[in-house]
Amino acid sequence: MSATDRRVREVFIELSDTLVDDFDIIEFLDRLAARCSELLEVSACGILLADHHGVLNLVAASTEQARLVELTQLQTHEGPCLDAFTTGRPVQEPDLRTAGGRWPRFVAAAVGGGYLSVQAVPMRLRDTVIGAVNLFSKSTGTLDADTVTLGQALADAATIGIVHQRALARQEIVTEQLQTALNSRVLIEQAKGFLTHSLSVDVDEAFAILRSYARANNRRLTEVADDIVQGRLTIPGLRSVQPDR
Amino acid sequence: MSNVSTISPLEWSIRPAAVRVWTVWVDHDRSARVWGAINAVADGDATSPSLAHAVFACARALSAAGAGLAMTRHDGLLEPLLATDPEIGELDELQFALGEGPSGEAAATGTPVLEPDLSGTAAGRRWPAFAAAGADRGMRGIFAFPVAAGAAKVGVLTVYRREPGSLLGAQLDDAFVFADAMLVLALDHRQGVSADLDRVIDAAFTARRAEVHQAAGRLASQQRISVTDALARLRAYAYSSGLPLHTVSVDVMSGRLHLDGDHTPGSDPPRNTPHPTDPERAEKEQEED
Repeated sequence: MSATDRRVREVFIELSDTLVDDFDIIEFLDRLAARCSELLEVSACGILLADHHGVLNLVAASTEQARLVELTQLQTHEGPCLDAFTTGRPVQEPDLRTAGGRWPRFVAAAVGGGYLSVQAVPMRLRDTVIGAVNLFSKSTGTLDADTVTLGQALADAATIGIVHQRALARQEIVTEQLQTALNSRVLIEQAKGFLTHSLSVDVDEAFAILRSYARANNRRLTEVADDIVQGRLTIPGLRSVQPDR
Repeated sequence: MSNVSTISPLEWSIRPAAVRVWTVWVDHDRSARVWGAINAVADGDATSPSLAHAVFACARALSAAGAGLAMTRHDGLLEPLLATDPEIGELDELQFALGEGPSGEAAATGTPVLEPDLSGTAAGRRWPAFAAAGADRGMRGIFAFPVAAGAAKVGVLTVYRREPGSLLGAQLDDAFVFADAMLVLALDHRQGVSADLDRVIDAAFTARRAEVHQAAGRLASQQRISVTDALARLRAYAYSSGLPLHTVSVDVMSGRLHLDGDHTPGSDPPRNTPHPTDPERAEKEQEED
């Protein structure tokens, strides 16, 4: 067993730990995005979930650059993640520089961000596609079969993390969890916006501060976000926290 | 609001103009159906769409015995506002009088609470007094949906059914879209805005964008108002200026646009923010929608 295999096992154990009391869906997906980049040896990873309008929403990204490219995808309504979501099948593009005809605006944004190839994996729950995971790479070429399989396994772990393993039998609980994830993301965006003003920082610094504060105090990201926007958490308490980037 | 139950029968109607901004992967049918249903009820009443119309249309669409809407007051407590008929109103009131029930839980957690059978043991354990009272009145299925976006908690929509059983997947999705519609209508009602349907639909979609919620949070900090009021103010500004909500939000985040707290008593002047008197129209980015 190689070091990689051992690391894969560790990550799956880490990701299966979703039934704890302080489980935080956004924190979980953020961690998953980071682990995907690491294990699949891709440059960045983004995770998108569908809401009840059938519209994809970005819920996590491993890097700021990937976040911007994902947002382009959502705003221009084209790209591999949308295709994977619509078809329920993985989408692979080994050389984005030749894919301009397929997704002109997405390709411009991705290549502009330094990404040369992309892989999108659907997040499936039985016959329902609830979202997609996007893997960006700064080199060209296809991922090998093992890596693709591992990518799908990580996407499945994400799906299970969202719906909670115990709840797989009931559609309502799936829906509740999905709504919670999307609503948590909205709350975090509100808190980020709040901090941009109260701490005079940019949006990314605001998120880093929010996350460090939650970690340092062993609290859920969404609880801290709620306290901030409701004015329950005072700004001096946050000022002392340095972003960990 | 009291004559909701006398509104003429619902007809499903889809206004073609309403679907212009949607893309292939948006569920055209669902949103058009929901907004079309609300609009049809409003047309029957010869007024612009209101919360009452939305609640009534929702009960009809979900084959429910009725539906009620409770609003979050400034102190955070819920207050029943309207119901499709007096019996439903009483049940809503009862939940708040007893201090237990799915509506309060949905509002507190920001998560839908879906109970397929009030007379089942699970519901009896969860809400002993309310489950018994509801079942006594012949209600079995009860489904509560937050009318909210993050910290902007406007209220909760509660749907009551006489038959036990879950909402079907499609009905559940409809209910979420109805709750979104009520969020938009409630925010605009706060600001005295009565937008036409096309703009309402456009904004309902754009409202889910990250930048809109970031701008609401920023505005809440700048003006020391709630996120709900901040979101309502952003929407009202978008409506009065004719700019898309997303564009207004991007401008608020970049500091190009500052919304004055004209009716915010006691608010301090915002710090660290450029203070343009007018939005720089020339700098508006292209809106992709």
